[in-house]
Amino acid sequence: MSEFIDIKKIGKVYERKIALSSLSLSVKKGEFIALIGPSGAGKTTLLNLLAATLPPDQGEITIDGQLLAEMTDQKKRAKKIGIIRQQFDLIGELPVIHNVLAGKLSEWGIMKSLLSMFFPQDKQDAILALTRVGLRDKLYERTSALSGGEQQRVALARLLIQNPEIVLADEPVASLDPARAEDILALLVKIASEGNQTLIASLHSVEYAKKYFDRLIALKDGYLFFDLPASSVTDAHIASLYKLKEQA
Amino acid sequence: MERSWWNYELHKRKIVSFSLLLVFLWSLTSINWNKDLFHSGGLNTAKQIGAAIFSPDLSNDILLLALESSLTTLSYAVAGMSLALVIAFFWGILASGVLFSISKNNRYVKRFFRGHLGFMRAIHELVWAWLFVASIGLSPFAAIFALAIPYGGILGKIFADMLEDVRTEPIKALEAAGAGKWQTLMYGYLPMVRASIVSYAMYRFECAVRSSAIMSFVGIGGLGYQIQLSLDDLQYNQVWTFVFFLIFLVLLIDMWSNFLRNQLTSVNRAIKQLKTSVFLMILLLIGSWLSIFTIENANLSAVFTKENLHYTIQFFKGLIGIGEDQPAFLSSESWANALSLTWETLLMSIIATGFATIAAIFTMVPAARNVADGSLTLAKKWHGWLSFGMVRSGYIFTRAVPELIWAMIIIFVFKPGILPGAIALALHNYGILGKLLAEVIEDLDSRPIRNLASCGANKIQILLLGVLPATLPRFLTYILYRWEVIMRTTIVVGFVGAGGLGQQFKLSMSFFHYTDITLFLFFYLVLVYAADFISEKVRLVIK
Repeated sequence: MSEFIDIKKIGKVYERKIALSSLSLSVKKGEFIALIGPSGAGKTTLLNLLAATLPPDQGEITIDGQLLAEMTDQKKRAKKIGIIRQQFDLIGELPVIHNVLAGKLSEWGIMKSLLSMFFPQDKQDAILALTRVGLRDKLYERTSALSGGEQQRVALARLLIQNPEIVLADEPVASLDPARAEDILALLVKIASEGNQTLIASLHSVEYAKKYFDRLIALKDGYLFFDLPASSVTDAHIASLYKLKEQA
Repeated sequence: MERSWWNYELHKRKIVSFSLLLVFLWSLTSINWNKDLFHSGGLNTAKQIGAAIFSPDLSNDILLLALESSLTTLSYAVAGMSLALVIAFFWGILASGVLFSISKNNRYVKRFFRGHLGFMRAIHELVWAWLFVASIGLSPFAAIFALAIPYGGILGKIFADMLEDVRTEPIKALEAAGAGKWQTLMYGYLPMVRASIVSYAMYRFECAVRSSAIMSFVGIGGLGYQIQLSLDDLQYNQVWTFVFFLIFLVLLIDMWSNFLRNQLTSVNRAIKQLKTSVFLMILLLIGSWLSIFTIENANLSAVFTKENLHYTIQFFKGLIGIGEDQPAFLSSESWANALSLTWETLLMSIIATGFATIAAIFTMVPAARNVADGSLTLAKKWHGWLSFGMVRSGYIFTRAVPELIWAMIIIFVFKPGILPGAIALALHNYGILGKLLAEVIEDLDSRPIRNLASCGANKIQILLLGVLPATLPRFLTYILYRWEVIMRTTIVVGFVGAGGLGQQFKLSMSFFHYTDITLFLFFYLVLVYAADFISEKVRLVIK
């Protein structure tokens, strides 16, 4: 299988701090990758570069043989790449169904979007997606009235509707308690594998990363620290990854 | 670094307050304090007007007329507000810049529409009304447009600010899901600001009712018109009947808007009551426009006629002085005259703000709930709630009556000049400032105050050492804000002869001296923009 995502020597600098330094990676289609590393290692920057919400200072990213920098059509890009963050990404004031149907906005024109505000369009798709994340009965609930875990399920339902080839997840479970976090993570992995999607997620928890992902990429201070299959990551790897400078 | 006693940062608020006080005291010297300020017999008239409060005319005819006038006033307010919302919607979106991607052009588009909104609200609704009457004639639409423009301006500005302050994460998420600019507007920005903008519009609705009442000046009926007629007939008992109806109407709207605002911002909304409110709003909207087209006989096609176009063109030609031998803005005499009027107007605004502030500061303590129930000072007095009730109803009373109507009444007692104008402005703003200041005290951290009280401090000491220092920054902010509003309104009280630019503005209108109007409008705008600028700078200093 050819390389699906090819990252070549990308770098990103914020004012004085180096966020990413000459990073190269390649990802195969359908791979499940966890990005780990201490805070400020560059995980979020890498995801933002992949989502094209941030341009790299150096290097280039190729997706499916096409340069990411040249994929300027937002609507087409949304079919290729989708991103999910913490639950703050939803519009709390809208009923759940509209937050889910927002996944269709890349396909809909302005008139259909407007009409849908009053008469939800493609309602069956929304119901199907919500059923898959276990929130069938919350269709018309105000999104802000839902719990944190439920809101993250709504975000997953939106992603189901959007159905991109690559799913990027930036700390998707950071603000949830452990039980709910694992729940959501399991659901995310299940959905991605059923949809034959490529999944790249940044995670705080090494335990979850090893449990749910095939490949672990560790970043530290903007550099690639290690890139190993989940099974061959040892405790010694992890300890040196998270070791503070003073102890080194 | 050790801070010395003579530290600017430590004293800046006191310096600002003291300077403001000095400016106020100095402004008082511009008035000749003698008997000539009153009409001969003016004090007697004042007594009669005052006595009439307690015996309003409650005959059936008058009550019926008052009810009918209230409905007229309400319908114009609703019609004006509905147009204002349409203006605010489009201008607000354009002025917020959310529809454009980040680029240089975006900045200019934003600035253009923000400037436009600023201009719409810089000019008082009654001045707009004069301009409309002069160009399209006496028509209900003159009044409705005159209400819609400044209210559209302020609502649009607030709407644009709200859109700009929306949390960016959900919007970025929508964009990542492939939403275009219009779609992020529909699915992101608008739902996120919906509750806040409805709350703010409801709050403004109360003000719109008051503004609608004073539109009598451009020939529409309603409460203001009846008050004016009764005043001309010296029927003071009737005057108060109409004033009480106005107060009642304003209170009713105030209560409704308070209820709605609480509901919209609370988590547990009472859906049923909200639905009733929405239904009521639609009913009001339909009823108002219907009555304007039927009872008031408004005719939109009669507004946009060839004749009116001709008049409008004539009016604007007049404003810029085409066909005029000696346009006012080319004569140094007119400039000198306008300058001295501008100076007078500025003084009027300062005196008005000063009066309102002093009266509010003297009454705010008993008007605070936490003082009335004794929780702030730990001294519960039997008269706590009594004085609370009296001061608070005084606030409501003075606030509900628009400045212009106060001016119409006061002009019976005082001779024309800046003092009656300042008093009229002060009366209305006293009610507003008093309420705001009392609320600041209610929000006070009560612990230091209680400590003072238990140390044996008396009321004056508590006020000076406990209340004032903690509340001074917010007081100053509110006072400066009110000054901005008062500045916009100075021109309006002048219309009934309370001096300043407004008085001459009206005279020039009557004599068709349109180039004078241009000059006065120019100076008026200079005053308004200068007041906004100064107030903003001072507020930055005291922050």
